[in-house]
Amino acid sequence: MTTSQTTVSLEHVTKRFDEVTAVKDLSLAVRAGRIYGLIGPNGAGKTTTIRMIVNITAPDSGGIQLFGQQQKAELQDRIGYLPEERGLYRKMRISDQLLFFAELKDFKGRRAKEAVDGWLGRMNLVEWKNKKAEALSKGMQQKIQFIAAVIHDPDLLILDEPFSGLDPINMELLKEILLEFKAAGKTIIFSTHLMELAEKICDDICLINRSQKVLEGSLRDVKRSFGRNSVSVRAEGGDGVLDDRSIVSSVKRQSNEVEALLAEGVDPQLALRRLVESGARITKFELVEPTLHDIFIEKVSGGS
Amino acid sequence: MKKLLTIIKREYLTRVNSKAFIFSTLLGPIVMVAFMVVPVLIAMTETGVATRLAIVDQTGRIFDRVRESILNEAGEGSEPSWPGGHPVDIDQSSEEQARQAGRAMMGNFKIEKVDPAERAPEDVKRELNGRVRREELDSYLVIPPDVLTGRKAEYYGRNVGDFINSMRIEEGLSRAVNEQRLADTGVDQNLLREVSKRVTVNTFKVNGKTEEQDSGEAFFLVLGVGLLIFIMILLYGGTVLSAVMEEKETRIAEILFSSVRPFPLMLGKLVGVSLVAVTQFAIWGLIIAGFSVYGVSTLKGQGVDLQLPPVSVANVVYFVLFFLLGFFMYASVYAVIGSIVRTYDESQGFLMVAIVPLILSFYLVFPVVRSPASTMAFWASIVPLSSPVIMPVRIVSQTVPYWQIGLSLLLGFGAAILLTWSAARIYRIGMLMYGKRATIPEVWHWLRQA
Repeated sequence: MTTSQTTVSLEHVTKRFDEVTAVKDLSLAVRAGRIYGLIGPNGAGKTTTIRMIVNITAPDSGGIQLFGQQQKAELQDRIGYLPEERGLYRKMRISDQLLFFAELKDFKGRRAKEAVDGWLGRMNLVEWKNKKAEALSKGMQQKIQFIAAVIHDPDLLILDEPFSGLDPINMELLKEILLEFKAAGKTIIFSTHLMELAEKICDDICLINRSQKVLEGSLRDVKRSFGRNSVSVRAEGGDGVLDDRSIVSSVKRQSNEVEALLAEGVDPQLALRRLVESGARITKFELVEPTLHDIFIEKVSGGS
Repeated sequence: MKKLLTIIKREYLTRVNSKAFIFSTLLGPIVMVAFMVVPVLIAMTETGVATRLAIVDQTGRIFDRVRESILNEAGEGSEPSWPGGHPVDIDQSSEEQARQAGRAMMGNFKIEKVDPAERAPEDVKRELNGRVRREELDSYLVIPPDVLTGRKAEYYGRNVGDFINSMRIEEGLSRAVNEQRLADTGVDQNLLREVSKRVTVNTFKVNGKTEEQDSGEAFFLVLGVGLLIFIMILLYGGTVLSAVMEEKETRIAEILFSSVRPFPLMLGKLVGVSLVAVTQFAIWGLIIAGFSVYGVSTLKGQGVDLQLPPVSVANVVYFVLFFLLGFFMYASVYAVIGSIVRTYDESQGFLMVAIVPLILSFYLVFPVVRSPASTMAFWASIVPLSSPVIMPVRIVSQTVPYWQIGLSLLLGFGAAILLTWSAARIYRIGMLMYGKRATIPEVWHWLRQA
């Protein structure tokens, strides 16, 4: 992988807070133009990792590269960051604070004003432009916080739990915007607890547990490597095949379905053929992919 | 640097545009005027009522002297008496004016002479007691015939707890008696007056080129600098604190730190709030200066020659510099407090500690005025936290070498910057750790961390 394709790379990064090691020997690479999901249980080190990428805190050892350069303060301007801990200035008008956040990223003047109007329109918040933040509902405030993170048109967007507290409609809106960002060639890193959501929008994932990386890669590869080779079968007859231990190593019977874990090295096609040959009437034969949820549970609880 | 300006701009504009700022700016002078005018008004209403005093002169020859002396008590010398009031003499020194103001506050006397004639002293007393009870009289003084040889006089009254009046009567009487004793030995009246005339001393400060008259105004102006720092810290300490804690409470800190380093953020806050304070003080200063100039010119138009205290331009520059230094220094102490605590309530205990050095500096002012060249005065004017109060005192009391003034300013601003830097550091690490309030050892540990 060349640097031109990698937006963020961490090499053997370690961060300690006194006795606690928050991040241990972490290496990862975030490819340009992809949505990268950082998942892991609470306290795994996700937020610390993100803070090091954003340059809020520095690693004790290891190196961080952004946009193919050694990390430095100036690069902060190219990042949009929505932390988990977020708020707004209560007494400040919405447009003023958005312009302030934009100016801190060296994005100002007419284009900043236009961006504020554009985003408020997009989020259906135009009539709140001159209101103080304290007048807004929590959901609206969240949308403003999101605008504050993207107002300066960053090349890299880092979102820590962006969906928490959003209603389904705004969740869809946010998802739509993230996909637009991706289509525009920007890179997005986000952390979440919501596995289903991560499964839907992430291209790549990285699972962190107990300060260390457990797995990383494209969602498809991760799932494939995790393939437990099991099938879901609904059929009349064919019990002889399912009980053949040379083909099926174990079965889990549900009301009218059977989930069968195939024996090692057995091609699902072979199992299907044998079932057909045994004269069973098959109404369903489906390869079961592990969900991210399953992988998460197994990796996190299996590792402990 | 650009981001520092962005921070300063926000801190300044959001505060100056707030209703609170506009109100306090407008109300400030009104409150100040009220503070000055109300006590005077109260004192004036007091002087409206004269104390009715009867004097029973059993010597038969000292009444006039006693009367004059009591009416004139605060004047001490035997200047001509001003029966029933005190005309304001514009040419007097400020000291004399102050004394007159004091006299005005003590109220006046309406003195009547009671001739004991041939009546028995008991009868006279009985009659006077009756008048006191009927409130025709407030008090009376009985001067025994042998008062000149040391017998005690007696003072009766409804309100003997009014010690100011009793003191005045006692002192007036004793001076009258002394004068009478001298007169009895044959000392000439005019000589007597000459002998007991008060002496005033005009003060001159000698510096490199000239000697200039110094009538004490400069000293009060210096105390004013200290007082201004004090008032400003009281008024704006809370603002500094809430500015520093604002991002903690609104949880914006992390968003900001993704765009700007903690030090420019902290420095921007301090500078922004300081500019707000300076703006407000400048507005007040202009209002007051405008009124003073207007007042003086009006009085001049009426033929009254009043002068504003003479202060050299250099001193004004120094005062402003040390005033800014003092405010900035203490504001940075508040910033450190704001970065340690998590809520405003937690800060209260620390705030008292922050003010202690300022109060101690005020205590140091008097020894420093008396010996501005002493070692203690030198160090107090160099060491941060006391220097903004003490150095201006030394500047008006003696001629301070430039290098000392420079050193004082340098150390002061250096200390303020160092404190700001520490505050930024504590703030950032505290935010990353979140949870409980930092302990002092923890704070120390963070500061030393790379």
